[in-house]
Amino acid sequence: MPATALHKFITFIGLMSILHTAYSAAQHRSYLRITEQEFIALPIDVRIKLYLQRMAYKIFTKRGKIGYILIQGIISLFIVMYGVMYIAGDFKEIRAVVDLENKSWETLRNLPSFQIFSHRGKSLAS
Amino acid sequence: MLGKIKTKQEKGEIIAYSESAVVNNAAVVEYCRISMAALSGSTAGLLGLTGLYGFGFYIFAVFGLWAMLLLKAGGQWKKYFISRRNLLTSGFFGGLFVSFIYDFYMVWYMYTD
Repeated sequence: MPATALHKFITFIGLMSILHTAYSAAQHRSYLRITEQEFIALPIDVRIKLYLQRMAYKIFTKRGKIGYILIQGIISLFIVMYGVMYIAGDFKEIRAVVDLENKSWETLRNLPSFQIFSHRGKSLAS
Repeated sequence: MLGKIKTKQEKGEIIAYSESAVVNNAAVVEYCRISMAALSGSTAGLLGLTGLYGFGFYIFAVFGLWAMLLLKAGGQWKKYFISRRNLLTSGFFGGLFVSFIYDFYMVWYMYTD
């Protein structure tokens, strides 16, 4: 089966999904960094409370979010690979018999170097 | 073109392979492998997987590619490939280097301040 427009579309969708994953990961990363910077500046009692909250956040939210990004990344990788595999080309049968089946003895006798196009048939036709 | 003919003896029976077809299939597999290495490296990088985790991800990607190639052959891999194990292992280290380079680049791009 040769590559169709559908396969190119699938590859495009997969690449967009990978870019979206990258964007999500970067956003999540910067969000974590910003929230961590805020915690340092706060008073000690609030800091303890917020530290507990942050631990809870890390356990419940971050893992969940990271897991979601991870799954999206893996799935989009396989979507792209599916498209690329068809764009790469078709497999051919490796058994020599299959290759020879479509050819006749006339094929072996065909010598392109000895073909003559400038012969008397040209003036006969005109 | 007819191409050269390569033979292999198996249980007293000689099987003839068309070399042009073998080379064509190898080229398709190589294209897929390089693409897979680059893409899996980038994905591992943007997910922040380095070191042993990144290596594990590459192994996972190699097995995934193997399964997908066999899926593309439609369950009749003997029609298109001489060896199934060779399909899995060939070009492993080349792909690993490509994958690592993309991984390091993506990690550097995404996660350095």
